[in-house]
Amino acid sequence: MRRLAPIALLAVAVTLAAVSRDRLAALETTPRGGNEDLLYLPNGRYLRAASLGHASLAADLVYLWAIQYYSDYDRTDRYRFVEHVFGSVIPELDPHYVDPYWLGAMILTVEAGDLEAGLRVLDKGFENNPTAWVLPYLAGFECYRARQYERAAAYFDRSSRAPNAPALPLRMKAGTVAKKGDLRESIRLWEEVLRDPRADAASLAIAERQVRDLMVRADLADLGAAVEAFRSRERHLPRSIEDLVRAGLLRRVPQDPNGQPFVYDAETGRVTSRAGGVLGAR
Amino acid sequence: MSASEAPRGRPRPGALDAVFAIAVNTFREGIRDRILYLLLAFALLLIGASRFLSLLTVGDESKIIKDLGLSAISVFGLLTAVFVGVSLVFKEIERRTVYTLLATPVSRWQFVAGKYAGLLAMLATNVVLMSSVLAAILLFRGESPLPLVTAEFLILVELALVTAFAILFSSFTNPILSAVGTAAVYVAGHLSWSFDLLKKRLPPGAGRTLCDVLHAVLPNLDRLDLKTAAVHSLPLPPGEPLWGALYGVAYTVAVLLLSAWLFSRRDFP
Amino acid sequence: MKPDCGGNGSALRLEGLAKSFYGHLGIGRTVAVEKLDLDVAPGQIFGLLGPNGAGKTTTLKMILGLIRPDRGTVRLFGRPPSDPAARARVGFLPENPYFYDYLTAEEFLDFYARLHGIPRAARRARVADLLARVGLLGRERTPLRKFSKGMTQRLGLAQAILHEPDLLILDEPMSGLDPVGRREVRDLVLAQRAAGKTVFFSSHILQDAEMICDRVAILVKGRVRFEGAMGDLVSRKVLWYEVAVTGGPPGGLPGEMLSSAGAEALFRVGDVEALAGLLTSVQAAGGQVTSVWPRRETLEDLFMREIASGPAREEGR
Repeated sequence: MRRLAPIALLAVAVTLAAVSRDRLAALETTPRGGNEDLLYLPNGRYLRAASLGHASLAADLVYLWAIQYYSDYDRTDRYRFVEHVFGSVIPELDPHYVDPYWLGAMILTVEAGDLEAGLRVLDKGFENNPTAWVLPYLAGFECYRARQYERAAAYFDRSSRAPNAPALPLRMKAGTVAKKGDLRESIRLWEEVLRDPRADAASLAIAERQVRDLMVRADLADLGAAVEAFRSRERHLPRSIEDLVRAGLLRRVPQDPNGQPFVYDAETGRVTSRAGGVLGAR
Repeated sequence: MSASEAPRGRPRPGALDAVFAIAVNTFREGIRDRILYLLLAFALLLIGASRFLSLLTVGDESKIIKDLGLSAISVFGLLTAVFVGVSLVFKEIERRTVYTLLATPVSRWQFVAGKYAGLLAMLATNVVLMSSVLAAILLFRGESPLPLVTAEFLILVELALVTAFAILFSSFTNPILSAVGTAAVYVAGHLSWSFDLLKKRLPPGAGRTLCDVLHAVLPNLDRLDLKTAAVHSLPLPPGEPLWGALYGVAYTVAVLLLSAWLFSRRDFP
Repeated sequence: MKPDCGGNGSALRLEGLAKSFYGHLGIGRTVAVEKLDLDVAPGQIFGLLGPNGAGKTTTLKMILGLIRPDRGTVRLFGRPPSDPAARARVGFLPENPYFYDYLTAEEFLDFYARLHGIPRAARRARVADLLARVGLLGRERTPLRKFSKGMTQRLGLAQAILHEPDLLILDEPMSGLDPVGRREVRDLVLAQRAAGKTVFFSSHILQDAEMICDRVAILVKGRVRFEGAMGDLVSRKVLWYEVAVTGGPPGGLPGEMLSSAGAEALFRVGDVEALAGLLTSVQAAGGQVTSVWPRRETLEDLFMREIASGPAREEGR
């Protein structure tokens, strides 16, 4: 009995260890260390192995080092390894560390002028952190700055769909779409902002004004197009806006958001609005 | 059985009384040891310094503080486990205190269990102390330290396992080899996935079998590492901390049983 | 059910005990103890004597279960030393003991009392009593690292008798002690016998053993060369007298001159009449007798003879 007790205890302990180990392995969604080529270990994975369970801290240290390194503006080859460090080494150490993605992307796009590399880093960050709406938001912002409104709108859209995203990306998307020239779609998006439960008071106020402004701009654009169409058909300018309706170029006479009619100058053919001087200036 | 045969009503301690007495004495030895305070001071200094290191970053300062804090708890706990753990048993033998101790009615397994329990109590005190300092820093910054508690607990489980290996090695070899062995187990324990990878590159045969055996036998310490998840407050698969703790505890018990067996066969010339 | 005292009521019984040590990688075998048989009856003071390296300490460690014998058995009151119940009746003082230097004397004894299962209520009084008994009163709170060798030895004795053992095992209990310390150890050992306990100790200092032992065994190179009752071993008869003389004329005195240095000389005379003659002659020559030493056969003589003699074991009963 006394001899058997430790042996029995050992058997129980080994069994429990084996069972719990298997359970843990089943819980693991991605195998640690990855399943790629061990012999051609990329830097980040090598560091992760060498950090012996302190990968998160290693990510911090690489990040801190990188910040200090890239704050030294005298370096000549400053941008050579930016994407590798911020888009590969740090993410492999700690894929959930969000700050390095956007900082790396900022260095790439703003300083190095390499938009595509910056977008790759941000894409990777968002892939690893589907709740980090700020990453596609920044990507959209950089595309917007580069006047690639189509891509910017797509990024803002992804950002606004991320869980926990505020109303900001949607606002940016609406603005971008307007910039692209698609005023009616932009209005639709701003109205979406107005209905969005995430929107705060400031967002709502902005959205409300944007909808009003864009409606005036859209109506002005429609009126202008109708006047142009009338002139090319009739060889003279219409005498009033009603002429356009009668000619079938407009369905009805539009009013500005204050319920005032648009002002038509029959001499020049220009349509203006009394709703505000700033309109159309954007 | 033997208790009923005890001659002439001589008091016989309960099996755990002796373990407890040795554990208390070991704990006392630890808290009167300057090395422990040195390590603790370094750890607390590092946790404190994380506040300043975090000023260097761009973005989330708390992440740096949490990472550095958790890693400090883990690393300094490990150093304590290795340095104090391997010398505990050896010191008793080298200073010949073990002769009188084992001449009392204390069994060898009680000695091993008592030494281990005392050291574990010391480590737990360490971890709690360091965690409290980290929690205080976080609270001061207006953040909740609660998400770190699970990770801190599993650090203690990992330390308990590493300490069991320290005791295992020191039950049959000298402190230097024990320290090297314990460190090797720690490193291999964090690289145990590599045996799985290596296996895939090897032709079937002895090498593969060896990889299988190593992968199965070595402790998989990465499973007890929840630091990254804790720092980012990521949701854990349900049961992960529980299964992790069970894995660590069961493994520890097995290693301790082996240590007790080796120690019971040992001569003290 | 095993009987309380195994064998024929021995306190300690060794049968065919043997132990060898091996060097690194198993190379170089050293025989420490070879086929050792001993039987110690309760109530005796038993001395295990031998030169350094004879295997005394190894034997004691095998008795306590600190070393596993290659062959043979150890029985403490009929039980093996691996049985805690057997060790519960034994107290042990190792050679040159050393204890936890981070504890105080009181903490140390309290710790050992707990290991012996002495209930909390009794511990404090027992510890205080012990410290008084070994002359460490007033040192209760002194850390052991500040203890001298003599104080450590006393504390070692205290822990050995803490649980009132039936068998006290002492390894070289008097080595390194001053005359007062040796006297105290002797008194303590005699007190144990008076209380009906058994004492088994090793020593290479023969005078100590000669004074207190009931029985001795002489161990040489791992074998018992001689074992027997003290009275049988050493005769009380005076063999000769040695007389130290100063100031007298070196020549012309009766008796054999063993040595001389300056005015001093050492003479050997065979019996009382010759001694009287020598004393008279010295007085007549104007010298002085500084000492007269009657030489009996001592354990040392026996010891030297045994070491010098062949390997065969003699029974000296």
